[in-house]
Amino acid sequence: MPVHDLGYRKWVGKRNHQLIRALFVARSGITLIWRRRMLKFLLIIAWLPIAIPAIGIFGFEQGLTNETYRRTIVQALRGPMERPDLALQMLQDPISIRHEVWSTLILGFFRVPQLYSMVLLVGLIAPLLISYDLRSKAYLQYFSRPLSPNEYIVGKSAVIWFFLGMITTLPGLTLYLLGVLLSSDISVVGMTWDIPLRILLASVALIIPTTALAISYSACTVENRYASFAWFATWIMGSVAYQILTNAPRMGRGRRNRIDMDFDTERWLLVSPYHTLGKVETWIFGLNTGESSVWPAIVILLAITVIGTLFVRNRLIARLSV
Amino acid sequence: MPLSPIISLSGVTKLYSGFRALDDVSLEIEPGITGLLGPNGSGKSTLIKSLLGLVRNHQGTGTVLGLQWPGEVRDIRDRVGYLPEDDCYIAGLTGIESVAFMANLSGLPKTEGLRRAHEMTDFCDIGEEKYRSVETYSTGMRQKLKFAQALVHDPPILILDEPTTGLDPDQRDAMLRRIRTLAQDHGKSILLSTHILPDVKSVCDQVVILARGKVRVHDTMENLSKPAEPTLNVMIYGQKDAFLIGLNKAGYNVTAQADGALKITGTGVDQVGGVWAIAASTETSIRRLAPAQNSLEEIFFQAVSRSEHP
Repeated sequence: MPVHDLGYRKWVGKRNHQLIRALFVARSGITLIWRRRMLKFLLIIAWLPIAIPAIGIFGFEQGLTNETYRRTIVQALRGPMERPDLALQMLQDPISIRHEVWSTLILGFFRVPQLYSMVLLVGLIAPLLISYDLRSKAYLQYFSRPLSPNEYIVGKSAVIWFFLGMITTLPGLTLYLLGVLLSSDISVVGMTWDIPLRILLASVALIIPTTALAISYSACTVENRYASFAWFATWIMGSVAYQILTNAPRMGRGRRNRIDMDFDTERWLLVSPYHTLGKVETWIFGLNTGESSVWPAIVILLAITVIGTLFVRNRLIARLSV
Repeated sequence: MPLSPIISLSGVTKLYSGFRALDDVSLEIEPGITGLLGPNGSGKSTLIKSLLGLVRNHQGTGTVLGLQWPGEVRDIRDRVGYLPEDDCYIAGLTGIESVAFMANLSGLPKTEGLRRAHEMTDFCDIGEEKYRSVETYSTGMRQKLKFAQALVHDPPILILDEPTTGLDPDQRDAMLRRIRTLAQDHGKSILLSTHILPDVKSVCDQVVILARGKVRVHDTMENLSKPAEPTLNVMIYGQKDAFLIGLNKAGYNVTAQADGALKITGTGVDQVGGVWAIAASTETSIRRLAPAQNSLEEIFFQAVSRSEHP
């Protein structure tokens, strides 16, 4: 029993605008997810790989004036980074490749550690977002309030956007800032001013379609483990399928009864979300994307976003009509 | 002077793959507590969900608190508190968090929402349980929590779908008391959908009975309770033969009931004196004499059977 029971009292006050109510859905989701200890651990782990490109940028900037650093960078460009063209230019005119080296390092950060972290993080949090609401019929509570299915979807998606922003956009921008701070020359800002914008764009390209895909899986089922399974299966199967399809001609070469097939590796790239995203991100960072057009990959990502969002919307409306 | 209706619907029809869940429903619900009755599948929940815009693709128009329905359904939801029949909750939140969250979704600022959530959880007697996760709540606790959520934004209309389900007798009484208090002292209009007829009898001012998607009965409790012609129920001590003969001689139409009572039809309160006189002349002691009322059960069963055998 309360110490002092006031009974029922009227409430008089100014209500928030309807449009910002989706923010409360996002805030509530973020609060709930934040309580998971595993997530905090994952966020810390996801930030650690920032050290590698940061060292790379530092080394490059030092290499502009220091011969020892320059030799190390040239070796790295010839070896692990597989860019002998840049290695040559590094020896001749290092300033001219500053933008490209920075972009390559930041893109590498986006492509490898952050994409894997993203797959893991979204696989852990996204399936809970809508499937839990379907299982506990929470949608009745949401939609008996002045909240539309679209606002609900935006609110739920914003939970994933927030966490993905924390492991991609924020470290990406931090990395850029570190690069500027570690550089001995302030003119670096003038030469690389567009990189933060490219980081933001690459984050959008990464976050929006993956979120739409993840929440559509979450809306498929009331069992979040099925949604998790579907999510991980999409990434693993997509990559495996791409590897098989692009390596098949090479493996068949030299055998007596091999079937001659004209494989276009760029076309098969679309079966793998990892490689599709990679194509678009490489294009955003202004790096070499090969001969084929980036547009099929962009269209695929847009289609995933639109179809995924419409699917979630229809699932919610169908549930309400029962 | 008749009160202006809070909910006015006209020609509401909802089809589910050819099945008419609502069939040309037209209603005018006045302020106060209205009981919405009907057997399973009669369309009660569909009507409520349609009012809130949860069910789409229905025909019909109307107004709710002067707002156009279904055109202004978002504004309507701001003015309506809904307690769903289903066991629904937001997993992971504590009781107080889920009430505050609903307040925020209805537009209350963050701090106000939390303050109001504390007030409502106290009003609904949730006590210290409000700090526990809702997943650990019993059915009764969840009903109280849903009630607090329905009230948190101080709506002028409450739509309560089976609010006493899962409550023990004490809690049920407390819930009905709260409903009465809200209607009488705070001017709330309440639409109470339930299967429990005594609940309707104890709190409702008017009753709507739905069956097979149509409105079968819609009237005030007072009018519905009145028999078609004035009738008295009389219980007496001892032998009733002499009393019966006396009543018949005086021209009263008397029928004996299964519980031993006598039902005297055609007698108004002004004729009570005649019955007392006959009792005195036949030396009969009257144990109880009261104007007869139609029972809600009878009205309900008649309405439902009429819908099944039109």
